Amino acid sequence: MLLTALILMPLLFAGIVAFAPARNARGMALLGTTLALALGAFVCSQFDWGYADKHQFGAAEPFVWFPALGLNLSLGVDSVALMLVLLTVLLGPICVLCSWTAITQRVRTYYSWLLVLQAAMTGVFCARDVIFFYICFEFTLIPMFILISLYGSTNRRKAAIKFFLFTFTGSVIALAGLIYVAWYATTTSGGRFQGWTFDIGALESAARTMSLRQQSIVLLALMAGFAVKVPLFPVHTWLPLAHTEAPTAGSVILAGVLLKLGTYALYRFVLPFVPEAVVEYAPFIGVLCIIGILYGGLICWVQTDVKKLVAYSSVAHLGFCVLGLFALNNTGITGSILYMINHGLSTGALFLLIGMVYERYHTRSMKELGGLASKMPVWATFMVFFTMASVGLPGLNGFVSEFLCLLGAFQASSAWGSGLWGSLGLQPGATPGDYGPWFAAVAGVGMIVAAMYLLYMVGRMVWGPLVEPRSHAHHAHGAEDPNALPRDLTPREIGLLIPIAALCIGLGIYPKPVLDALQPPVSRTIAHYEQLRNSPRLTPTAPAEHASAQDGEGAP
Amino acid sequence: MLSQEHITGHAATAIDEGGMLTMLVPALTILAVVLCGLFAAMRVKNKAPAFVTVALLAASFVAVLMTYLNLGVEKTWIAHGFDWINFSWSGSENRKLTTHALIANFSFYLDGLTILWMLFVTGLGTLIALYASEYMSHDVGAGYCRFFAAFSLFVFSMACLVMADNFLLLYLGWEGVGLCSYLLIGYFYKKPSAVAAAKKAFIVNRIGDLFLALGIMLIYTHFGSLEYTTVFAQTETYIEALKEGNLEVIPATVQLIPLLLMGGAFGKSAQLPLYVWLPDAMEGPTPVSALIHAATMVTAGVFLVARTYPLFLLSEHALPAVAWIGALTAFFSATIGMAQFDIKRIMAYSTVSQLGYMFCGLGVLTSVGGAFHVFTHAFFKAMLFLACGAVMHGFAGQLDLRKLSGVGFMRGWKVTTVAMLVGCLNLAGFPIITSGYWSKDMILGEAFANPHTQAIGWILLLTAGLTAYYTFRVFFRVFVGPVQYEMGDEHHGAHEDAHGHGEATHAPAHATHATPHAPGWAINTVLAVLAISAFAIIPFTYSHGGWVHTMIEGSTARYEGAAAYLGHGEHAHGTFLGFEAHGALMVVSGIVGAIGIVIAWWLHYAGRTTAATSRADALLPKLGPIPRWAQHKWYVDEFYDFLIVRPLWVLSNIFHFIDQYIVDGIVDLFGAAPSLTGKAVRPSQSGELHSYAAWMAGGMAVLILIVILVAT
Amino acid sequence: MSDLLTLAQSGYPAPIAGVTLAHYLFVSAAMFVLGLIGFLTRRNLIIMFLCTELMFQAAGIALVAFGRYHLNFHGQTFVIFILTVAAAEAAMALALVVLLFRRKESLNAEAWQDLKG
Repeated sequence: MLLTALILMPLLFAGIVAFAPARNARGMALLGTTLALALGAFVCSQFDWGYADKHQFGAAEPFVWFPALGLNLSLGVDSVALMLVLLTVLLGPICVLCSWTAITQRVRTYYSWLLVLQAAMTGVFCARDVIFFYICFEFTLIPMFILISLYGSTNRRKAAIKFFLFTFTGSVIALAGLIYVAWYATTTSGGRFQGWTFDIGALESAARTMSLRQQSIVLLALMAGFAVKVPLFPVHTWLPLAHTEAPTAGSVILAGVLLKLGTYALYRFVLPFVPEAVVEYAPFIGVLCIIGILYGGLICWVQTDVKKLVAYSSVAHLGFCVLGLFALNNTGITGSILYMINHGLSTGALFLLIGMVYERYHTRSMKELGGLASKMPVWATFMVFFTMASVGLPGLNGFVSEFLCLLGAFQASSAWGSGLWGSLGLQPGATPGDYGPWFAAVAGVGMIVAAMYLLYMVGRMVWGPLVEPRSHAHHAHGAEDPNALPRDLTPREIGLLIPIAALCIGLGIYPKPVLDALQPPVSRTIAHYEQLRNSPRLTPTAPAEHASAQDGEGAP
Repeated sequence: MLSQEHITGHAATAIDEGGMLTMLVPALTILAVVLCGLFAAMRVKNKAPAFVTVALLAASFVAVLMTYLNLGVEKTWIAHGFDWINFSWSGSENRKLTTHALIANFSFYLDGLTILWMLFVTGLGTLIALYASEYMSHDVGAGYCRFFAAFSLFVFSMACLVMADNFLLLYLGWEGVGLCSYLLIGYFYKKPSAVAAAKKAFIVNRIGDLFLALGIMLIYTHFGSLEYTTVFAQTETYIEALKEGNLEVIPATVQLIPLLLMGGAFGKSAQLPLYVWLPDAMEGPTPVSALIHAATMVTAGVFLVARTYPLFLLSEHALPAVAWIGALTAFFSATIGMAQFDIKRIMAYSTVSQLGYMFCGLGVLTSVGGAFHVFTHAFFKAMLFLACGAVMHGFAGQLDLRKLSGVGFMRGWKVTTVAMLVGCLNLAGFPIITSGYWSKDMILGEAFANPHTQAIGWILLLTAGLTAYYTFRVFFRVFVGPVQYEMGDEHHGAHEDAHGHGEATHAPAHATHATPHAPGWAINTVLAVLAISAFAIIPFTYSHGGWVHTMIEGSTARYEGAAAYLGHGEHAHGTFLGFEAHGALMVVSGIVGAIGIVIAWWLHYAGRTTAATSRADALLPKLGPIPRWAQHKWYVDEFYDFLIVRPLWVLSNIFHFIDQYIVDGIVDLFGAAPSLTGKAVRPSQSGELHSYAAWMAGGMAVLILIVILVAT
Repeated sequence: MSDLLTLAQSGYPAPIAGVTLAHYLFVSAAMFVLGLIGFLTRRNLIIMFLCTELMFQAAGIALVAFGRYHLNFHGQTFVIFILTVAAAEAAMALALVVLLFRRKESLNAEAWQDLKG
């Protein structure tokens, strides 16, 4: 019931905002998101942390939606989903507040779509039914498309279309994969048709009995959808464009939550559904992550558009996140989930800060902006702070997750199959591929690259002699615009940065509650991999035999 | 058979809970950071931040001192603060339930090494903060708050680094000091050179940090823990095996750990090949150079090696590598220091050089000597920097030794000059009366006492001579000789511009800077205290480390009498040209130092009539291009730029191009496929009624044909 | 009933004895092809329209013939419908032709290629 309310609350306010007078729109939106935040906090307090791997708050009798296909509107969160729900509801009021003065046209449309987006994102994390998950997952595209294409900057049309088509194409393939799993599940035992179900838990146990070959195909399909969303290396190009063109709140949500939909889906579907294929192909995915980390990082270094720089940095950061996830051990996955939250906070805050500068100077080019520390000391302080959080400075949030991800990758070899080097013929015999440390080392170079590009950004934007756009300087000498923002941050802007900063410090110096809360679900995910490792099915010859056996069994 | 003089016969040091008083150090320093932040928010325009910082740092020093006096160093104490990264999980390994944990608490590990380091970090921190209260006075306002906030944050990070009871908290401090160093080097942030230097320092340090991080991961992977107590309990067994001569029980992974840690240490402590950031770091205010880039932060690398000494003893290659790189750095940077004209840069290169000495000390198995040199160096090098800073402050940023002469004979510069002289004597290793002599001698003696490290000993001895020369080159050029000076052009004015917040607070006394102004009470007091303590520490340290020796003996840095690279735990006694090494070196190093001083006197003092010229000028052309190359720092920066930075920049641009036109191009190609197909078939829609009709008729005909063919 | 069917499908009544369904269909096909050829070869809109009418009526003949062949009125019913529609069509089409002619002062079908892709 609580979760239903959490989804319906923003929807309700979206309706109110859409029909209320335009001058009340932002106030109503703020009220709605704040209520959702309060409700989120209440959910958090009611959550039974002792059973953090159980999906809680689901109704006893789920609402039957489409009985012929076994579709239910079942909801429920474990601690992983709850963390991400909390991140979503936290970013809600922040996104409303950061648009407070920036959005002056079509405000009702803007805020109601913002609220709809929040409802859809909450729905993704709460869903316990594959189809409901997928509907929410896809539905996030529409509000985002509208936010970008109506409120974005110059190149917004192209960005919005590319964003939509790119992610949509991917997720349709993922849907095919999910439906294949559901179809497979209808006939698991004895080849007799048993009726459809789309319950995640039921599909999870059914999907694991697929042969390696089937699992590999499903893995490919799911990766096609979710890797685009994350985004992983070769399918990331929509991100810089969408980020750059989106309005500030759009970028914050994009970085903060939308990218996490992809990683969350990887965690929720890929890892538990197709473990054997994951074990085989994790090194490949790891390679993609590492390419993303280094390639994305180096591209950041040559950007002149500061928003694009931060956007590419997301490619690099999410590389760490996915690398940790596919390390398939406890430290890696814990780190990865923590990374989702931390990246949402620190990169979200960087986008907020850039948005604040953009609102004042109407440019994002680092050629036209520089040395703002002397004009905006408070802004500069926050900028340096969040840059350091993003660099992964110990004591701030980014470090804990980055270190855990890298440590996970360092120790990943024992969980990975010999797929990568074995298939390349490079496997030097006895040890089953002790290449995890190399992954960690090469990914670790990404930490240096991160320092390079982020300090380059800070060095340009914050330090150095003051550089302002010529038009702006001219404007300042002319008539003062009464609605113009003061040169440094307003209390409203400081007020929306402080909670994020406090969380960054809090998660940096006392991450223990979160880490503890994540252990039960992560251990549950890992348990299956440990089982696999101990069972003979992973021996090099087994999959082939088993595949044929499974094929025979799986045929209807 | 074990080398007798190093065996003290203790087994593992006892470990106990206690020493909670040290928790005050991070608490007080963080309080100082918060207060400075509040002062900035309240737009305080007086010296309150400085006095708060000084008071809280002094309280930290007292807390450390009390801890030392109460607990002593016979035992190791663990003070548990709170759980930081601390979680455990159960898994199954071969069908057995196993429990794993990753524990890195905010807890302190207090042994002699910790206490020694903390004493001089907080002690010097307090003194230098006091000095800075005057030195930074032209920046009173937001900049002042920023300075002292970063300063306190530095002490906080250093405390975490030094007192950590696990590798991750050490890493926190390690990166934390890097951040503070970044913030403080870039303090004059309007100067592009300062910003570039800050960035360089952070990035070069990060390269080292990567190695440290990988080392830590390998430690966790191998030992299953990040806590010192657990790790060192396990190294104990390896060391016992070493004493038995069982080298083969040590796995290759364990041997790799110290090599990785060493990478981190060389980054932070500015050794070859990662030393390039330190000379540039002199862009920061001088108190920062004194505290961070001379006395404390740069010794963190030495501390790391000392802290993980048991691991280093286990590797066949780690300690020799440490010694060699230390020796080469010592010599290499001394040659650069000889050719510089900026007195602060000379001091920077001498710091790099002396750090090389410290690493050599650790590398040649006298961890006491290494720590001892850290300790003495902290005092005299801080003093040298502060004296240079006083000159810089008084002469409007003038640092060129060709433009300053006879400062000591001017009014009000007596304390500075005496302090400078004391510092120079210490750095040059003037016999008997200076602490620097005793610590340097210990390393030199030990290098010669070991037959494997004779070559290192010779390099160090030569470097000692070079050190004496370039040190006194500064002294003879700047502080004595004819009184002649030229004011700098940037100092206060530039600071004010650089700063932007100094507006109205700019002290009237500084309004005109045509004439030099002598240092005030704060600077003089600090210099006097340091000069006195440079002598006062001699009794504590005299002969084989003395007090420092007792501090190190109970700590992880003690030499256990067995090291992998010596094979069976024995090392034959080497000699210095047939004499007993330690005794002979006492004499020889004194003589070498004196020769260096005399050469400096001859070239730079005797017969010098102007500030700009000296006898050395006549000598230089005879050396060909070498002085010019040395002055350009052997073109290492250019070399790195050419070899690493440029290619990386080009690569990044290539990647950017690929991303825009190839990766994204492929995506666009897919996107374009439908419209391209449409374009291809579009001509069939001619718009002519007849062609449509003809197509229709033709289509019908084909259909009918198919029906007929299929039907028959 | 079966007598009647035999009567209808054999050659009775005498004056047109020997004329079978095939003959009607042949006429229908010939008319249709004539109309088609006319439609494809002529450019005058009115002629083309008349050609379509020709094809229409060819289909009508076929329908009536089949109606007769099966001895029911289905075919004729359809023809009535077709004739009605054709009449409406003729009115519309000729009106269109008139309008088109007013635009370009030409009845040439090639004058209109606005749907060119």
